[in-house]
Amino acid sequence: MSSSQCIDGKTLCTPEMMFEKGVLRMLVIVLTSLAYASILAIGCAAITLLYTSTRVFNFAHASMVSWGFYLTYIFYRLTRFSPYLFMPLATLIVGLYGVAIYLLVIKRLIHVKASEITLMMVTLGVDFMLFAFLNILIDFFYYNFRWDIKTVNIVLRDPTLVSIADTDIKAIYVVAPIVALLLLLLMHMFLTKTNTGIAMRASIENPTLSSILGIDVDRVYILAWFIGGLFAGLSGSLLTMLMQGSSTIGSDIIVMYFAGSIVGGLQSILGGLFGGLLVGLSERLLSYSLSSIFPWIYSYRFVIPLSMLVATLLIYPRGLAGLVERR
Amino acid sequence: MIEGGLFYILVNVAFNIGIYLILSLSLNIETGFTNIPQFGRLTAALVGSIAVGGVIGRVAAMLAGQSTGEEFIKANAHVISEVNSYLSINPHASILLLILALVTSVLLGALIGLLTALPALRLKEAYLGITLLSFGEILRTFTYNYEPLIGGTLGVLTPAFLGFATEFETVALLLFVILMAVSCFAVAERISKSPLGRVMRAVRDSELAIQVYGRSSMRVKIYAIVIGSAMAALAGALYTIFTKTSRADVFTRYSWTFLPWAYIMLGGVGNNLGVTLAVIIMSIARSMISIYKHEISGYLFNIDATWLEYILMGLVIILITMFRPQGMMPERPTFTLSRGRIEEVRKRVLGERASS
Repeated sequence: MSSSQCIDGKTLCTPEMMFEKGVLRMLVIVLTSLAYASILAIGCAAITLLYTSTRVFNFAHASMVSWGFYLTYIFYRLTRFSPYLFMPLATLIVGLYGVAIYLLVIKRLIHVKASEITLMMVTLGVDFMLFAFLNILIDFFYYNFRWDIKTVNIVLRDPTLVSIADTDIKAIYVVAPIVALLLLLLMHMFLTKTNTGIAMRASIENPTLSSILGIDVDRVYILAWFIGGLFAGLSGSLLTMLMQGSSTIGSDIIVMYFAGSIVGGLQSILGGLFGGLLVGLSERLLSYSLSSIFPWIYSYRFVIPLSMLVATLLIYPRGLAGLVERR
Repeated sequence: MIEGGLFYILVNVAFNIGIYLILSLSLNIETGFTNIPQFGRLTAALVGSIAVGGVIGRVAAMLAGQSTGEEFIKANAHVISEVNSYLSINPHASILLLILALVTSVLLGALIGLLTALPALRLKEAYLGITLLSFGEILRTFTYNYEPLIGGTLGVLTPAFLGFATEFETVALLLFVILMAVSCFAVAERISKSPLGRVMRAVRDSELAIQVYGRSSMRVKIYAIVIGSAMAALAGALYTIFTKTSRADVFTRYSWTFLPWAYIMLGGVGNNLGVTLAVIIMSIARSMISIYKHEISGYLFNIDATWLEYILMGLVIILITMFRPQGMMPERPTFTLSRGRIEEVRKRVLGERASS
């Protein structure tokens, strides 16, 4: 015990210092997990919103997340300012992708009353195209600027807020949960207090009736896809500060997004946010805490959220939203 | 013998057609006939690969007097080379093992189909699709990390079952794959025209009506998943036998689930012939893109041809769903008897009526 090196690597550890070191390590793990879970939650809200409003289970979410991720990186690389400055812009662009997807593809299919499965498949096609265009963009920067950006890692560009005994508290630990919380509040306000929000809820519940009452359902759907795109882009954009990734970053973790939104119940956006939070936290925290007992468990950490997804569907298909539903 | 480069291209195209035909037909039975959104096609295919690499590989090692335990994974290349030299002088044992490998993969595939169907079929539409997708991801993550099965990240080599055919081995394996694909087509057509196939279509068109007539729609769906999964496992097994490696990371969502989906949508959901046509066209297109990638990207501003393949697939899916949802060859009502036979029966019935 006495031979172990301590925090700064020079002095010997007293038991108190060991304890402090352990606590700090745990704190960082909890904070990273919380940031990751919040980012996941934002994406889950997007999937849930699109499913409730247009019955589209959006496979293109994967590439939209990747686009958010890469746009943030490219803007950062071009200017060398803090990546946080470009997150709104990247988010906005992906939001416009959402609008384009709706107008070009989804609108027509909803009009001919295509089945859920058809709608799912068509977003898969969109996903392939967005994925290809992203990679073409990456190649473009390689051929013209000699940027090797097949994998991107700018986690170290994240500013440190406080440093306690060599343990850095990064900005993303604070930003991601606050953004998720803000979105939660904003969406709640939007859906319950504004006319557009109430119109949106009405068109989700009964499109025919709301169009009779003079609500332009089409415009509501455009708005839903815009917000869905925004959230997907934001989710990918924030990920730049938390992990390294390539153009497949979205499709690598898309199953986590699916898991989160289904655990949340696919009925209300708030349910989606909570589902994502739960899935993200359990993936990270559960595998960290169990890995001290079973070291092999860390490689299987992806199985945890997937099992949660399957369990939710089989035991309580209405998910978290079903638990708090008003009767 | 055909000239080297051309030979390679032909083998590549024919092999892709064979494997994807089996996969797409299996998906057609589940999705086209019965309307089950099978987004986890890779589950059964991976099980087929495990059956060959993990199970039959060990049986072969046992026959050749090699270790089947830890050494089978750790010194895999050595064990398999010993197995191969044993198999190359024992054609009977090789063929027996090959048949055993296919039977095992089909049985295990049917089993995994049943295991996934029983819990998942309580769900519908998107929920069902995502559950099946997750089963596939769980199995793939598990196999990729659990070394004792098929060697985890590194995978295992599989025996050369037709190694005794020496220089004709590739051709023999290829012919075998084509033979299997043709048999699968025959099976799929037979199912399509059988009472089972008609009940499957009835489940697809109106589940309520089927229940009114006293049929269990659940049972029909389970049959569909079990048959489809057995077929997909065969595709996975054949792929593994041909490439002589069994690795979990080969079985991606893109190649083993989404491509067959694109093919059946292009060909015509529920029409075996249309699906076959789509598989042939798209496999040739994909092979051409991958073979001439340098020439193509030379014309198109240095765009890597890999991405062109994604754009092509995406466009096919989007355009087909938007403008021709019935596919290239729309499904037609199937007649169990030939026209002549129906006329004959009609005449006989009319004759009986006249005489009575």
